[in-house]
Amino acid sequence: MPKWGMAVDLDRCNGCGACVTACHAENNISTVGAEEAARGRAKHWIRVERYWEGDFPDVRLKFRPVMCQQCDNAPCEPVCPTYASHHTADGLNAQVYNRCIGTRYCANACPYNVRFFDFFNPSWEKPLHLQLNPDVSLREVGVMEKCTFCVQRIKGATIQAKADGRPLADGEIQPACAQACPAKALVFGDLDDPGSAVSRLSKSSRGSKLLDDLGTRPSVTYLERQS
Amino acid sequence: MKAIYALYPDGQAAQQAVNRLRAAGFADREITILSPQPMEEYEFGRRDKATWMWWIACGGGLVGMAIALGLTWLTETSWPIDVGGLPIFAWWPNLIIVFELTMLGAIVATVATLVVTARLGRSSVLYDPEVSEGKILVGIEDPPDTAVPDLKTTLGAVREALVKTI
Amino acid sequence: MNSEGRVRTDQRINSDLLRPLMQTSWRFYLLVAIFGGIVAAALIGWTSQVTRGFGITGIRWPVYWGFYVTSFVFWIGISHAGTLISAILRLVNAEWRRPVTRCAEVITVFALMIGAMFPIIHLGRPWLAFWLFPYPSERMIWPNFRSPLVWDFFAINTYLTGSTLFLFLPMIPDFAVVRDKSAGLRHRIYRVLALGWRGSPKQWHRLETAMQIMAIAIIPVAVSVHTIVSFDFSMAPVPMWQSTVFGPYFVAGAIFSGIAALLIAMAVLRRFLHLEEYLHPVHFENLGKLLLMMALLWGYFVFNERLVTYYGNRPGEMAVFWRTQRESFAPLYWTMVTCNFVLPLVLMGIRPFRTITSCVIASIGVVIGMWLERFLIIVPSLGHKYLPYSYGIYRPQPVEILIAGATFAAMTLLYVLFAKVVPIISIWELKAGEHVPSTLIPPATQEHPLGELHL
Repeated sequence: MPKWGMAVDLDRCNGCGACVTACHAENNISTVGAEEAARGRAKHWIRVERYWEGDFPDVRLKFRPVMCQQCDNAPCEPVCPTYASHHTADGLNAQVYNRCIGTRYCANACPYNVRFFDFFNPSWEKPLHLQLNPDVSLREVGVMEKCTFCVQRIKGATIQAKADGRPLADGEIQPACAQACPAKALVFGDLDDPGSAVSRLSKSSRGSKLLDDLGTRPSVTYLERQS
Repeated sequence: MKAIYALYPDGQAAQQAVNRLRAAGFADREITILSPQPMEEYEFGRRDKATWMWWIACGGGLVGMAIALGLTWLTETSWPIDVGGLPIFAWWPNLIIVFELTMLGAIVATVATLVVTARLGRSSVLYDPEVSEGKILVGIEDPPDTAVPDLKTTLGAVREALVKTI
Repeated sequence: MNSEGRVRTDQRINSDLLRPLMQTSWRFYLLVAIFGGIVAAALIGWTSQVTRGFGITGIRWPVYWGFYVTSFVFWIGISHAGTLISAILRLVNAEWRRPVTRCAEVITVFALMIGAMFPIIHLGRPWLAFWLFPYPSERMIWPNFRSPLVWDFFAINTYLTGSTLFLFLPMIPDFAVVRDKSAGLRHRIYRVLALGWRGSPKQWHRLETAMQIMAIAIIPVAVSVHTIVSFDFSMAPVPMWQSTVFGPYFVAGAIFSGIAALLIAMAVLRRFLHLEEYLHPVHFENLGKLLLMMALLWGYFVFNERLVTYYGNRPGEMAVFWRTQRESFAPLYWTMVTCNFVLPLVLMGIRPFRTITSCVIASIGVVIGMWLERFLIIVPSLGHKYLPYSYGIYRPQPVEILIAGATFAAMTLLYVLFAKVVPIISIWELKAGEHVPSTLIPPATQEHPLGELHL
């Protein structure tokens, strides 16, 4: 059984935001408009956090793409009253939109703030509706949503490999963010496969987990920026 | 006639009436006493105190506990879902459900016992609205016709008695 | 005093306590119209929230709980005094409880009903709220019993059932009194409600035993309910939420706010229903002393919680700590401390200040302070979690303010309607307390067939 994980190389990330755009496109995430975004309703399943360090003229700018960490000890899972947030056998934290009644407890419990609530029914102005991905369901008002490691791509590739009668190759599954990143900062793969790129990167001496001391055991390793 | 009774102004008079009825040969279960509040300081107010209610409440609690254990065990094991790495049957959180349903079982059992043993919801023929105004009613339901005149005297012998029939 | 040494006759008690049921003034209709209007406006507000989308509230990333959950915890807290006070006073047989018990139990039931609406009001998809109820669905899925929200569902329903029964059972003999004193439609309705109550010793014993059992059962349930509500917070890794003191802290705060609500209700009833002869200054004194004690207990728990956080000195927690104590939430925080601690200590602690009016002032302060306390637990922490990029500021919108405010109107409305159809002071319990115990008349024996009293 594979265990999906990601490695994010902060040395390579330049904050371009291509991953954010690709995620919106792949996962049918609607934009909410400037006014609603200012009120905190934007739904960026992956976001690029930007931190300024130091005072002028020694200012440094750091970027950190943050998506759902698919924690092994996810605090968002036990608190959902309807089992909408639960853990799958391949290490993903699944969000079942059909079970969600919108208590938003999972979002409060998530220390990474990677869970988003649908405040209104989504809408796409024509002709943007033609760009919707048929593999991903649309979420109605009142449910929680978050990064799924592009589970539709994982499932698609797994089914294809099974149909072809071959094992999955490393790098065959690329979530939209990893596929779009021009600097190849995001690496996705099977952590249980010792030969995969993400396994190797997770063991790097530059590697650390976000908010490690909280005990959530995230599946995403961040490789420290060296320059 | 369906009943013969008298209204008394206070507990002392009522107690005397009850004693007279007992002296006249009536058994305790034939004598009806109605008061506007519980009158523990008189002997007549202490009848029928023994009850199984405490045991039934405990039994109801056990039933509630069984239902809760069954509900959590059966539902959690029939579709095991991994949430945050917690065990499938996690007894720490399930204890809360068990506790609540145990108490609910005890409460519902108590109320059910009350309704049944106090015969709530069943109407009786012997009653007088004067009881609410502070009078205490002492009477006999379905008296034998031959005993009626004696009963009228017995009940009326106590001070300030107001004898009535239904 | 009559022959049994009683101060008030049964007729007098009946007529005084039944007067609100029998006579209605224009003020009643005005109150119902005003408060009913506010509640209706709130219903329209909630309907618009459901139809137009949850976004019309001020909830935002990452502050996903705001006014609604504050109100939820607040009203469940208010519900604690009633049944707890009534149950504890019954168990220790405190005589002064008699005029107070029903006022208190009514607060519990209505506060619970209002509080229990909020888990539905604050849902994203409230039409699916029934999924919290364990039933065999065709989706073959049951509620997650490991979730604090499901514990909430079970606890609040158990407490609501228990409190409603605890309120209703001692009302049965009073319904019998109203039945006997009324005619026509009113008589028929109360005859049904009285369930054929007659007042035989057997019925009294069963009723009192049932009340004893329920008093013993309802106290742990009440403690568990607010502990479980506190688990809604302490089960999430949010700065200053993961505190093991939350269980007892919330229960103490709940009893505190409940006593304050009870004091306000009693003072209002005393004035508007002319119950000066039944609700004496000593009742307010005793409850005022309880309020003082709970203020001290509340202060103790706040001190505990904050000192431990202070010593832990963890960056995430300290950021929220300072946020409430000296940064943006400081005005609200210190208002809360004044209302919850300083005001009750001064007004209730200094004997010459302990009057009925000062009890009401202190209680209103406590109600405000406790609402603020719930708000200050929820919002500062959620807006300032561990990743600085995702801090957020919550701004409540009109719909939330309307619904949260209308709960007070709803409570008043329900209370006014209740006092109109049920005697607000328990008539039979008051009568039972009027009895000066006299020497026991011995039963008939063989030697003394009439059981005469020998002095």
